[in-house]
Amino acid sequence: MADVITVEHLTVAFPAKEGTGEVVRDVSLAIGAGERVGLVGESGSGKSLTARAIMRLIPRPGAITGGTVRFEGAELAPKSAPKWRGTKLAMITQDPLSSLNPLVKIGTQITEMLRYHRRLSRSEASAKAQELLRSVGIPDPRRTMTRYPAVLSGGMRQRVALAIAISCDPRLLIADEPTTALDVTVQAQVLTLLERMTAEHGSAVLLISHDLGVVGNFCDRLLVMYAGRIVESGPTAQVIGDPAHPYTRALIASIPSLQGELPDRLASIAGSPPAGGAHAAGCAFAPRCPLAREVCRRADPALEKIQSSSRTVPGDSHQAACHAIGDDTWNQAA
Amino acid sequence: MTAPPTGPLLGGELPEAALEPGTAAELAAVADEPGLGRRALTSLRRDPVALISVLAVVILALIAVFAPLLAPHNPLQAYPNGLSSDGAPVGPGSSFLLGTDPNGRDVLSRLIYGARVSLLVGVVATGLASAIGVLVGGIAGYAGGIVDTVLMRITDVVLSFPILLFCVALIAITGPSTRNVMLVIAFGYWTYLARIVRGLVLSLKEREFVVAARTLGVGHRAILRRHILPHLIPAIIVYSTLGIATSILIEASLSYLGIGVPLPQASWGQMISQGQEYFQTAPWLLIAPGVALILTVLAFNLAGDWLTDLLDPETSGDRR
Amino acid sequence: MTDPVHAHSVAPSVAAAPAAPAPAAPPAVDVRDLAVHFKVHRGLVSAQTVKAVDGVSFSIAAGETLGLAGESGSGKSTVARTLVRINRPTAGSVLLAGAETARLSGQQLRAYRRRMQMVYQDPYDSLDPKMTIKDAIGEGLIVRGVPRAGRKAEVEELLARVNLPVALAGRYPGQLSGGQRQRVSIARALAVSPEVIVCDEAVAALDVSIRAQVLNLLKDIQADAGVSYLFISHDLSTLRFMADRIAIMYVGRLVEYGTSEEVFSQPAHPYTQALMAAVPDIVNLGGPRPAPLPGEPPNPASPPSGCAFHPRCPLAVELCRTVAPPLVRKASGQLAACHVVPDAPEVTP
Repeated sequence: MADVITVEHLTVAFPAKEGTGEVVRDVSLAIGAGERVGLVGESGSGKSLTARAIMRLIPRPGAITGGTVRFEGAELAPKSAPKWRGTKLAMITQDPLSSLNPLVKIGTQITEMLRYHRRLSRSEASAKAQELLRSVGIPDPRRTMTRYPAVLSGGMRQRVALAIAISCDPRLLIADEPTTALDVTVQAQVLTLLERMTAEHGSAVLLISHDLGVVGNFCDRLLVMYAGRIVESGPTAQVIGDPAHPYTRALIASIPSLQGELPDRLASIAGSPPAGGAHAAGCAFAPRCPLAREVCRRADPALEKIQSSSRTVPGDSHQAACHAIGDDTWNQAA
Repeated sequence: MTAPPTGPLLGGELPEAALEPGTAAELAAVADEPGLGRRALTSLRRDPVALISVLAVVILALIAVFAPLLAPHNPLQAYPNGLSSDGAPVGPGSSFLLGTDPNGRDVLSRLIYGARVSLLVGVVATGLASAIGVLVGGIAGYAGGIVDTVLMRITDVVLSFPILLFCVALIAITGPSTRNVMLVIAFGYWTYLARIVRGLVLSLKEREFVVAARTLGVGHRAILRRHILPHLIPAIIVYSTLGIATSILIEASLSYLGIGVPLPQASWGQMISQGQEYFQTAPWLLIAPGVALILTVLAFNLAGDWLTDLLDPETSGDRR
Repeated sequence: MTDPVHAHSVAPSVAAAPAAPAPAAPPAVDVRDLAVHFKVHRGLVSAQTVKAVDGVSFSIAAGETLGLAGESGSGKSTVARTLVRINRPTAGSVLLAGAETARLSGQQLRAYRRRMQMVYQDPYDSLDPKMTIKDAIGEGLIVRGVPRAGRKAEVEELLARVNLPVALAGRYPGQLSGGQRQRVSIARALAVSPEVIVCDEAVAALDVSIRAQVLNLLKDIQADAGVSYLFISHDLSTLRFMADRIAIMYVGRLVEYGTSEEVFSQPAHPYTQALMAAVPDIVNLGGPRPAPLPGEPPNPASPPSGCAFHPRCPLAVELCRTVAPPLVRKASGQLAACHVVPDAPEVTP
């Protein structure tokens, strides 16, 4: 069966005075039906723009300068967007006030979707909308339909945004930092809801976050991005339990945890993530990498499969982009 | 847990080097931003209209300053050869490049000295207006409460008069003279800047860095001086530049009405007023000062626009 | 049984509760029954009182870190801002090294300000974009009274203390990264030699890999200079790393208060337990996850009656709806405000 989304060698660039201005560089990924994939990275990693590229929503003056995005085998064109945006591919973002029109009643926003895409009558759409609101846990759906988004709390707004996104049974739901602005107990609710709704509607999920805990607990597969590239990918348990790329390892080591041993100091990574678009040749992580060598500064490493002693499911391989992979003689003396 | 997939280092602890922020990496991350002067020159190069208007302003300033050196004749002097045999003004010619006025005075020289008047009035009046405006607006915004209410009501009252009428009324009280014209324009114009400044100060007061300064224990006067005032400067500069244009126009209007700069001193306003009468017979009398006025006001407005664009990114300050 | 050091008049909602054992010297910070109420004007005439902080007591020993956790509406940020007198306390007392400071004004307030500093959440707005780094830090030195001649050297020393290269002194905040700016803020706070530093979500706006740098730095400074921290965060994992003692707030009141170890290993209050269960941790991936806590943090303008947590609480009984529980010592050792959780034997024999 064709993957829901296939991205091959995607490159997104913004016009820049120096350097190439590429904020997403040669990114390839595939999401299968019903799969839950996580995209994790810090600022400048390009994760949000990758998502927007899939939805064909790159803000000007940026543009896709290379690669392809395919939905179920066929290429997605911006011109045909009304056919698939919101219906086959849906997205919710960090701030639901930007995906919800603050000047239109909630009920109208949902019924509008249903009537336009599903050709439902006014009463059918209204009933379905209430049912949707109930299924996302909104108390008193009938009253909520008549209200405006601004009177709802953050958690409620996200539920409404989710209801709208899921209303047409999208094959893929992209959630870009959906819980970053929410309280932690509300975040737990929304993530549980996301899990349930996407399972019920059979949607695959691309969950994007800077929070490794959020994607780690939600997704089957993880993609770690740094400076516009995917530096590690694989099944969640492997990427988090046995990270191969120095960036992933350092990132995990630097996160304090509620359980386990309490360190005296947190392992930190020197320097800062590079600002989007400007970088020298070679591996973007080299300036901060404790293992960096001459070759790292010259050549950008490609994603390589990690030979692990545990069983590797084909198509589910654990990969990392680092020159040190597979080289047993790599040592610190640079 | 399975054995590490690759070499000993990736499986073990990360070495110490990773544990402290590296100064080389830190410094590399901080880029040097071009200074204001460099940015000004770059933007001028790109925008020919702005370049011309800024040059025009500079040339006008030079003309005003060096008027005595540039004017071919004495602007106050009635030259006998300035009038034709039947007493009419002489047109542009070899001895009087832009002709003469009905009294036989050289138009070009009067134009040059008029530039001096315009610019002097413009700069002084605007300077005074800015000072008053910043003071009133700053105190109102920072102090808040009843002080703010009272000061703003006063500002509203003055603002409710059309500025020209206001100035006319004040001149009627004080009597026309160059000095009074400057004062009168200042008293009419300060309100615009007062409102802007008050709004700016109100929002600045709430900014985290001002709160941080208060928490640090910095006193009110130091906060106003160090944190508030520098953020007002771009707005002040922009409004002052536009204010000069407005002041020049008001002065010209007052002089045109005969209650501004008194004769025999040259002012473009007067010259326009005079030129109006003689338009049929001696059109140069109207055209010369009229064109000068239009070009000057235009130049200041365009230069003000360019300054706004230049200083605006600095107003927001940070670059994310 | 009242602890003599903390003997004070109690508000009706807090019974005579034994506070945490008093340290020998007066604590660096001792907050008692702090209340901060705001008047919100609705319409022309009517005003409503919002009790952002409603009777909070805690203490911080010298060189210790107290973590203050809570979600929106908990009042934790208000506590922080009141301690540095951005807001004025409505009632209660704030003792700094034993001396009352809640009612200070004028010159005395200026002197107090130096002793308690704050690092803010927003690394972008807390520094004046038009001031160079050395001027920003220098402002603190001016307040402390350092003469102009000595300022340059002190600025360089402070920059070194926060691990920033001296070359950054002449730059503007816009040219620095978020992590660097936060370190400048820390240097500025240190410039006045405070006894206490309040960190109000100081790392929340930073990238994950940068947070560790700043947290390590804060710990180093504490070990070095002996400052006490009041560390405000919504992130329990960060608090576990940073704090010696923890206080959990819910709608203006403390619901749990004890040592970091007590609270994290055996949370007493059901809200604390729910908070901890809700944190997506990477250590226990794939483990069973409890059902998330229903409902949302209430609006402090209209809190629920009795125990504010009762609408969401899995253990709620009738009493919880009507009577607000006192903060008392529980069987597991820490203080908690809950009718249902068993008290320590000496409280309720």
